[in-house]
Amino acid sequence: MENDKKGMSRLMELAMMKKGVMIAAIIMSVLSTVASFIPYVAIYLVIKEIILVYPEIGNLNAGKMSLYAVSAVACVLINLIFYTLSVAFAHIAAYGTLYQLKIDFVNHITKLPLGFFYNTGSGKLREIMDNNIESIEGFIAHDLTNMVSAMTAPFLMLVVIFVVDWRFGIASFVGIILAFVGYGMTSGGDTVKKLMDNYQVALEDMGNAATEYIRGISVVKAFKQTAFSFNRLNDSIKRYMATVIPYSLSQENMTAMLTTMFASMYLVLIPVGVFIGSRTSDYRGYVATFIFYLIFVPAIGNILMKIIYAMANASNIAGSVDHMDNILREKVIPENGKNLVPSGHDIEFENVSFSYDGEVKALDTVSFKAAEGKTTAIVGSSGGGKSTIASLIPRFYDVNEGAVKIGGVDIRDMEIKELMNEVSFVFQDNFLFGVSILKNIRMGRKDASIDEVKAAAKAARCDEFIEKLPSGYDTIYGSAGVNLSGGQIQRIAIARAIVKNSPVLILDEATSFSDAENEYLIQQALSELMKNKTVIMIAHRLSTIKDADNIIVMEEGKIAEQGKFEDLLNAKGRFEELWKNYTTANVWKLKGRG
Amino acid sequence: MMKTLKELFQLSDDATQNLKSGIIAVTITNLVTLLSVVVVVNLFTQLINPLEGKEISFSFMWIMLGVGIVLAVLLFFASKNDYRKTYVSCYTAAKDSRIKIAETVRKFPMSVFNSKSLAEITTNMMGDCASIEHTLSHIVPPLIADIISATIVCICILFFDWRMALSIFCTLPLSFLIILGSKKLQRKVSKRQLEDKLKASEKIQEYLEGIKVIKACNLGGTKSVELEKALRDLKDSSIALEMKTGVIISVAQFVLQAGTGIAVYVGTMLFTKGDIRLLPLLLSLAVVCRVYGPILSILTLLPMLEHTLISTKRIKNLLSIKVMEGDEISTDNCEIRFENVSFGYEDEKVINGMNAVIPMNKVTALVGPSGSGKSTMAKLMTRFWDVDSGKITIGGIDVSSVEPESLMSMFSIVFQDVTLFNDTVMNNIRIGNMDATDEMVMAAAKAAQCDEFINRMPDGYNTVLGENGSTLSGGERQRISIARAILKDAPIILLDEATASLDPENEIQVQEAITRMTENKTVIVIAHKLSTIEDVDNILVLNNGTVEEQGTHDELMNKNGLYAKLYNLQEDSKKWQIA
Repeated sequence: MENDKKGMSRLMELAMMKKGVMIAAIIMSVLSTVASFIPYVAIYLVIKEIILVYPEIGNLNAGKMSLYAVSAVACVLINLIFYTLSVAFAHIAAYGTLYQLKIDFVNHITKLPLGFFYNTGSGKLREIMDNNIESIEGFIAHDLTNMVSAMTAPFLMLVVIFVVDWRFGIASFVGIILAFVGYGMTSGGDTVKKLMDNYQVALEDMGNAATEYIRGISVVKAFKQTAFSFNRLNDSIKRYMATVIPYSLSQENMTAMLTTMFASMYLVLIPVGVFIGSRTSDYRGYVATFIFYLIFVPAIGNILMKIIYAMANASNIAGSVDHMDNILREKVIPENGKNLVPSGHDIEFENVSFSYDGEVKALDTVSFKAAEGKTTAIVGSSGGGKSTIASLIPRFYDVNEGAVKIGGVDIRDMEIKELMNEVSFVFQDNFLFGVSILKNIRMGRKDASIDEVKAAAKAARCDEFIEKLPSGYDTIYGSAGVNLSGGQIQRIAIARAIVKNSPVLILDEATSFSDAENEYLIQQALSELMKNKTVIMIAHRLSTIKDADNIIVMEEGKIAEQGKFEDLLNAKGRFEELWKNYTTANVWKLKGRG
Repeated sequence: MMKTLKELFQLSDDATQNLKSGIIAVTITNLVTLLSVVVVVNLFTQLINPLEGKEISFSFMWIMLGVGIVLAVLLFFASKNDYRKTYVSCYTAAKDSRIKIAETVRKFPMSVFNSKSLAEITTNMMGDCASIEHTLSHIVPPLIADIISATIVCICILFFDWRMALSIFCTLPLSFLIILGSKKLQRKVSKRQLEDKLKASEKIQEYLEGIKVIKACNLGGTKSVELEKALRDLKDSSIALEMKTGVIISVAQFVLQAGTGIAVYVGTMLFTKGDIRLLPLLLSLAVVCRVYGPILSILTLLPMLEHTLISTKRIKNLLSIKVMEGDEISTDNCEIRFENVSFGYEDEKVINGMNAVIPMNKVTALVGPSGSGKSTMAKLMTRFWDVDSGKITIGGIDVSSVEPESLMSMFSIVFQDVTLFNDTVMNNIRIGNMDATDEMVMAAAKAAQCDEFINRMPDGYNTVLGENGSTLSGGERQRISIARAILKDAPIILLDEATASLDPENEIQVQEAITRMTENKTVIVIAHKLSTIEDVDNILVLNNGTVEEQGTHDELMNKNGLYAKLYNLQEDSKKWQIA
């Protein structure tokens, strides 16, 4: 996001995303306000007629009176028609805008580095989508139209002043000014802003705590640790209350002042009334005018209240928008528009350095080449940088120094779309979505036919159990009666990669979490998947990589050694150590008591 | 009435009391506002005096100004009081609800979390409770106060002139009928919108959790069809809600305000016939300009109340789910027996008339093809779920009679999927035993081979892990889980394939840790790597939810049944290599 508009101007920018509909809504709203004044005028005219002839009521023109009554009703109707139209337009604009904002927000965060998600937390992001963005509806659909229509009130008053009586008119204006002075004196300014920030932070914190609490419920239960996780949530709930109440109460005086001022505005009319009344020559005209203003001024007060409330709401909403904008300002993984297309499918790391936190180097000037159509295995102890290598290829993060190249092209010069077509993945933590199994597999390639999906499932050795699910391929994952094991999920993830059929394949510990039967099947599936691909394989089971074309041994962010299996063993270096450990671990047995 | 409100919003006694004083405070404010009518009446009387041949008293008008100012001061304090009362009470009530949900939720059987998504329960806690805040501050008190003040105004006008009262309020029943008559329709569109909102929320949560896959499959934003559809549905049903309820409210408002015209017409007719005096007429006209305000707000507030009641109903439904209860357990006997146990998630039977004995102080392994019921057995004995029929006993005590938390004190569990909290590493391990000192935590971490990677973190043990510890590798997570179990030191140890995704170096260390942890304990291991359990005392081979074979490794291999088949399969896959 380039612009740094804040507060009201940012809200207006958002409101005008659906400009045409919104302007229509505003015009309707203004017309409705104008129409809402007419019944008062009708009543004024009725009072005037009566006062002029009283007590000679026989002189009243009955026809004229009925006309006033009918026009009052007609204007109520017109007012409501305009009002309804305005509400309708405003809501169409509002919800259309919300939808657009949410889509834009999702599009934006999707382009952020993966670390952003780890640091931000899904609770907070969901809260922004569910509540912060949703709150903008209040401004677009209600506050903006209210504000604009309320601003027409002073103009209408000017008209009334010149038509009816300027002296009472000026007095009413004085009343309005006094009310605003009272508002200015009691609205807290910066203190309120600070309290509001505290409240917003506490609200987000509570959202995250709730998500975490529910997610961790099995651990909470297993360790009798209600206290721990519950206390966090409990504290955040209490802290929320402790911040929201002061924030609300900081507006206590202001609200009370406004209620009082607007309800008592008519009092300024009394001195003026006495002054004029004791001097007037046209007593009947004076009485009619005075009575009219006594009726009319409170109505003005009501409309002005709307402005103030709308403004207060708007500043709340602007706070919510700020939270959204902060995330929109996060730097996305950039696409430089060069859109180069790789000429081959080898992968090259050229002096790559990378750090997650800017301090500890996860990779330190790493260079290697994974040849096209060959399998490159990456091994090493945890923290050595294996997974980091896998994360840099799909640009989950961008390198700090050096370059990652596919087919000679720096991946930063490729379109993200092109890059993702080039590479597919099987992670150790695979994720299925709450949609049909068919759609889950089809995520690999959207236009894959059902036959292609089924063929991939077969190749990934998952067709058998899928067929057994309640509705086969159409079974919704996560629905009643659908429990898939880790190994089964993994095979579906492999089917996804098979359907995608991209030339480069990255396997991140893809054979972990599997029982005897699954392991066998997963291996079959992987053999199928790896045919004719450039494969980068992060492996713990060292026996599986004996035949890899190249084995890279990572140690503290650097390449310790690389070569073929036999060569590395003969070199008696780091790899040989790992291998020894591996074979020892493999014969370990959990002992019984005999 | 307070009782109904208490029931409706699941309020505590305190919150009900607060709400009551909030409502009273708002009513007082409304009444003070209405008192200003007295000033206006007196002004009118003075003004028309000369028209009726009497004297106007300007000094009396000055007195009225004084009265008006006094009323204004009163109003200021009254409205300050009502603001304070309603806000404090609504936020307190929402806090109570949230805590009540949090407290109840943890006692639910896991089946609840299987049928309700993470987003759904957090929405109950966040969104639905926020809607209670809103209802109790912005809807209920003004609604009740408006009803009271509208009634008072109505009675006063009736007192002045019943015919004018009738013409002002004649449209009132009709407009209320419109609102009440459309209740069903409104409830339907409200419900639809709230459902769509929840759906959108769930899809967002899923999108965020699956972000890695989304990125890898290049399915961001609108390309994620499901999310896009959920958001579009929410947009459509929100607009439909506003349109339908908006139009209904507008029609009702029109019907009501048409009373202005009727009052003007009837008033002037009566007046020309000499049936009404000037003062009551003027007053009626003044009233007709102001009286619809509170009634209009009643008309708008009622449908809003209807909408928010769906939220409160959802909370009520959640809180009405039966929680798991039972007595404290105290036994030194750790023998676990399954007697004719059957169990299924939803309709799918997973455990089928199972009989099994897990002896005390021995190592028992559960093996079998996936879906055979290994993990389910573990979940049943720890009462994450309750059996459908049959019974499970520990030391002869039926677990279904034991309070779940108390039962858990018997078990140390190492899960396959490890949940970590957004807190320091130290506290994440300390979950095993909250009374443990820092030294004890560090010792457990050392034993579970966590020491080395924790020390590599920026702030060591005080490093805060992100949401669900997403920065840690699978192996690191598992070791933290083992450290927790070591710290807990319970008599029964339940291992769910603890060493699956470790690199070889760590694997040896973790194996050592497990060996030490399991000494002198009753151990149950759900094994995937069959070679690791060759030496255990007892192997239960599960198939289709029953124990198909049982015995030691040698016995089972001689039998040449399912176990032997699985074992040989695994030996084959050990030889697998990339081509």
